[in-house]
Amino acid sequence: MSALHPFSLLAIAAALPAFAWILPAPGGGLATTLIAMGLTLTPGASPGSTSAGLTPGWRSGLVTFRTALVIAAPFWLFLRLLHDGPTTVAMGLRITTMVASCVWLVAVLSPDRLVEAMVARGWSLAVAYLFAATLSAVPVLKARARRIVEAQRCRGLSPRGSVANRLRALRALALPLVLSALHEVDERTLALETRGLGMGVRRTPLAAPLDRTAERVARWTLLLLCLTALIRRLA
Amino acid sequence: MALTRALAFDGVAFSYGNVAALSDVSFEIAAGERVALLGRNGAGKSTVVRLVTGLGHPDEGTVWVGDWDTAGRAPEELAWRVGSVFQHADQQLFARTLREDVSFGPRALGLPPREVRRRTDEALDALDLHPHAAQHPYDLSPALRKLAALAGALALEPALLVLDEPTAGLDRAWRARVADAVREHAERGAALLVVTHDLAFAAETLERGIVLDRGRLACDEPLNRLLTSAERLKPLGLVPPPVAALSVALDLPGRPVRERDAAHTLARVAGGRSAS
Amino acid sequence: MRILGLDGVTFWYPATANPALENVSLDVGPGEIVALVGRGGAGASTLLLIAAGLAPRVTGGRLAGSVSRGARAGIVLPTPWTQVSGMAFTVWDEVAFGAANLGWPAHEITRHVDRALERLEIAALASRDPATLSGGELQRVIIAGILAMDPDLVVLDEPTAELDAEGTRAVWRLVRSLAAEGKAVLLATSDVDALPDVADRIAWLEQGSVRALGEPSLLAEDAMCDAGLGTTVAGLWHAAGLGAPYPLTVVDAVQRWR
Repeated sequence: MSALHPFSLLAIAAALPAFAWILPAPGGGLATTLIAMGLTLTPGASPGSTSAGLTPGWRSGLVTFRTALVIAAPFWLFLRLLHDGPTTVAMGLRITTMVASCVWLVAVLSPDRLVEAMVARGWSLAVAYLFAATLSAVPVLKARARRIVEAQRCRGLSPRGSVANRLRALRALALPLVLSALHEVDERTLALETRGLGMGVRRTPLAAPLDRTAERVARWTLLLLCLTALIRRLA
Repeated sequence: MALTRALAFDGVAFSYGNVAALSDVSFEIAAGERVALLGRNGAGKSTVVRLVTGLGHPDEGTVWVGDWDTAGRAPEELAWRVGSVFQHADQQLFARTLREDVSFGPRALGLPPREVRRRTDEALDALDLHPHAAQHPYDLSPALRKLAALAGALALEPALLVLDEPTAGLDRAWRARVADAVREHAERGAALLVVTHDLAFAAETLERGIVLDRGRLACDEPLNRLLTSAERLKPLGLVPPPVAALSVALDLPGRPVRERDAAHTLARVAGGRSAS
Repeated sequence: MRILGLDGVTFWYPATANPALENVSLDVGPGEIVALVGRGGAGASTLLLIAAGLAPRVTGGRLAGSVSRGARAGIVLPTPWTQVSGMAFTVWDEVAFGAANLGWPAHEITRHVDRALERLEIAALASRDPATLSGGELQRVIIAGILAMDPDLVVLDEPTAELDAEGTRAVWRLVRSLAAEGKAVLLATSDVDALPDVADRIAWLEQGSVRALGEPSLLAEDAMCDAGLGTTVAGLWHAAGLGAPYPLTVVDAVQRWR
């Protein structure tokens, strides 16, 4: 999976939710959900994206799968509270597809390959970096959140126990996470300037990912299929 | 609140995945003892800190904090006995004011407000942080934030204080403040375990040195003996700090490793020489 | 001929009434190593940011006086982990990040990166994931990354903070070799004891001004020892009430003693 060109990965991650919404429910939503969740089980999530780099390939697939489930679950709950059965299922499947596609994308897309791909196509480095920073923000925030929780536990804060307790613990985590992340934005801007970003010079691609013709054709085909489905749906 | 045997490692082994970080490490620290944990980067020092605080549990052997086996305890329970400050602790402050952050520990332990206030004041006192007590942590310099993190640990009044590189990035005056605060805490009966590269700080503040080498215990002896034997330090990737090196080079009687002792001895010997 | 010249520089951070630096004048020539010493908050980091061209350009603020820089500068911050690109999966790519951003041709980049890896003695780490490195290893990777951009002025802010004894020695050796090949080096460090063997000149910063500027023998003067900024050996001699001039290092002391 990670051997695919970054743009192909983006295309797949965009196409699945598009199809989920365009195709008639619940069949369309079910199909795309199955495909998206299936993707989260595939190995090949690059080490830097989902963990500290020590998780072996197959296990990271389960992590991605579980993350998708955990994020999608609350939506099902809310839907059930608001809507009847069939609507819940229809919307739930669509949302699950979106969530699973996003989670899979973050896990499998390496920020550096994306930047290289974008730069090779002529995009400005600043824009490319914005994409990459967003992608890599998740593992960075995760790692930082873990460190903060550990430090707080060592000062007596228990993340377990009653609901009130857990909420308090969550707040104690959220505040420093956001504060330190914001504080770091300033530092990061300065730090990245030291590495030559913002010079206005065209960056030398170090190893532009291979863009096979077959992949390019597949991407355009996917786009065409989406448009066709959309037109047929609207007609 | 002192524990006679504050900390004990009994045949501890620990691995991250299939990388062995600690093998067969055993040592004991008694109440009031001040111990330096030394060794190269990667020797396993931070792993020891993680095991002591309960963030990890040994694969083999046992870690005892007092009479508690850490295997059965969560970090928040061990916080009753262990006060810890990790590296880069300055990135983990979060309250709106310094005072609020320092008082976090005692509050989390559920202590009554008066007790919380007393401990916070004493911790702020020990590190001379009162002038900054009402400021927002992120408005302070990284050095002051580091001191604030230490104050937070002191406010727990732990029986065992564990510090990971407490003097990194601090200038001499602040290092002295840390040294004083930490020594004072030990005088009240707490045990001290400090991971540090700063051998000069270790010489001034601590008495015993445990050296790790590639996850194994290489040395466990009094610092004044360890720091003055360059032949033993070298294979462990360590270098005698200036005072110890000077003591040896000038063959000063008693081989002092602390500045004040060395200055006195120097003055005495020099006086003796000029008299003769 | 100077690579860096600060003339009467006064600098205010944005929205601050008191200047962080006041009337600072300092030159660094090719092949020279100038070290800043002083208490924390004295303005060393600010001075280094100005030297590297990052203040006021990126930090904002106001600068009075003039700064002349004859060549490209590279700076290693005291928080090197913030300088990680976040976009490289191998150490090699991380080190190449800055050079690639400068738009150099690929073979040039390879040459500089390999050289930098060698100099920092981290060639063995080339295919590791930067996210798995220890603090000390990361510091060396960042230094390599800055060197790979081939700056003529190398600015280092506490370059040995995260390192153990061997790593520290390696960095000071590197600093001397950088000067030996003609680069200008400006650094700030709290490891005062290392400076007599490393620095050509010392600048003592106090509350934003240069209080003293001179050779490393400055570190053995009474004023510095009283401020706690002299070398340990000099401080001991001073505290023991022995006569000036005080020895700077253990080696000096042994000679004096005989």
